[in-house]
Amino acid sequence: MSASSTLNAAWAGASEICRGLAALDVRDVVYVPDNPLSHIFRALEADHANIRTTVATREEEAFGIAAGLYLGGIRPAVMLQSSGLGNSINALASLDIAFQIPVLMLITMRGGDGEWNPTQQPMGGVVRPILDLLGIPHTTIESSERAEGIVRQMGERAWRSKQPAACLLARALWGPKAAL
Amino acid sequence: MTRLEATRRLCSRLTSEAVVPSLGHPAYDLFEAGDRPENFYTWGSMGLASSIGLGLAMAQPGRRVIVLDGDGSLLMNLGSLATIATVAPPNLVVIVWDNELYGTTGGQPTATANGADLARAAQAVGIPNTVTVREPEAFDAAVDRSLTAPGPWVIVAKVKESGTASKPPLDSPMIKRRFMTALGCPE
Repeated sequence: MSASSTLNAAWAGASEICRGLAALDVRDVVYVPDNPLSHIFRALEADHANIRTTVATREEEAFGIAAGLYLGGIRPAVMLQSSGLGNSINALASLDIAFQIPVLMLITMRGGDGEWNPTQQPMGGVVRPILDLLGIPHTTIESSERAEGIVRQMGERAWRSKQPAACLLARALWGPKAAL
Repeated sequence: MTRLEATRRLCSRLTSEAVVPSLGHPAYDLFEAGDRPENFYTWGSMGLASSIGLGLAMAQPGRRVIVLDGDGSLLMNLGSLATIATVAPPNLVVIVWDNELYGTTGGQPTATANGADLARAAQAVGIPNTVTVREPEAFDAAVDRSLTAPGPWVIVAKVKESGTASKPPLDSPMIKRRFMTALGCPE
């Protein structure tokens, strides 16, 4: 796969994800940066100027801001890399889950096959078990074509259940390395 | 000035403001001084009161949002000040009850006991409207100004630790529903 086709594939998925967010009436995205997320922010800026993006200094903080947005009547999404889930667990448990505050999470996955950085393996490998232990439902987006549907499905599940729900963005979506 | 006394002075000035206290003693004192549906009592997530307040201020630009943080809990999430400076919501007021100790967990000293200056930290990351107050009259004046002049505001109130036996309800979903209904955005 050439660099340009990787970028094109990533763009297609990003647009699908953004359409899903718009269909859910998500109006705020709070995030801690990760390279692949740049595709999504570019698509948001280009096609969904009414969705505000806010960068947080740490993932736990992002969940706090998102909880405040929800309490104030806005449906929020939080975007983070899998490593940041480790920084977020108490916020998810004692704020979102305990108070029944929903949030749609989009987690870009590290670790697994093709991961060049061994320090990403331990955390990347326990993202799904941690979500399972917390009782947070999750679905992995493995192709651009299904991205919008999965985002809508998990978002609706979050608002209906008043609990967090997560979409995991597989590394395969972006190619072996983020093409940025 | 004790924290409970300062909380009572704040409550006497409130109308429709949303108030988010940090967990533990700031929440207990707020419940004792003036329980109202517009109070969102947190029970966990230490450090996140200012972040919750920021999200609320973004969602409800027409309403003043007041965070009652502690020195220990703000030190746990100092990055929040930089995010608040960047977003710069004019309707956000962060009051830091600075008693120089972890009052809820046994009175261990915080970094402010060693001279850490949270108002200067707020200024350094880009929040110009900051003030440190020690006396009740100065606290009242700072609060009055923050409720009318554009923010964000950071008011560091040097207070003495105060204890109350009161505690807000432990029913977290009820606190959330009551709060959201009072803010006009029921689920």
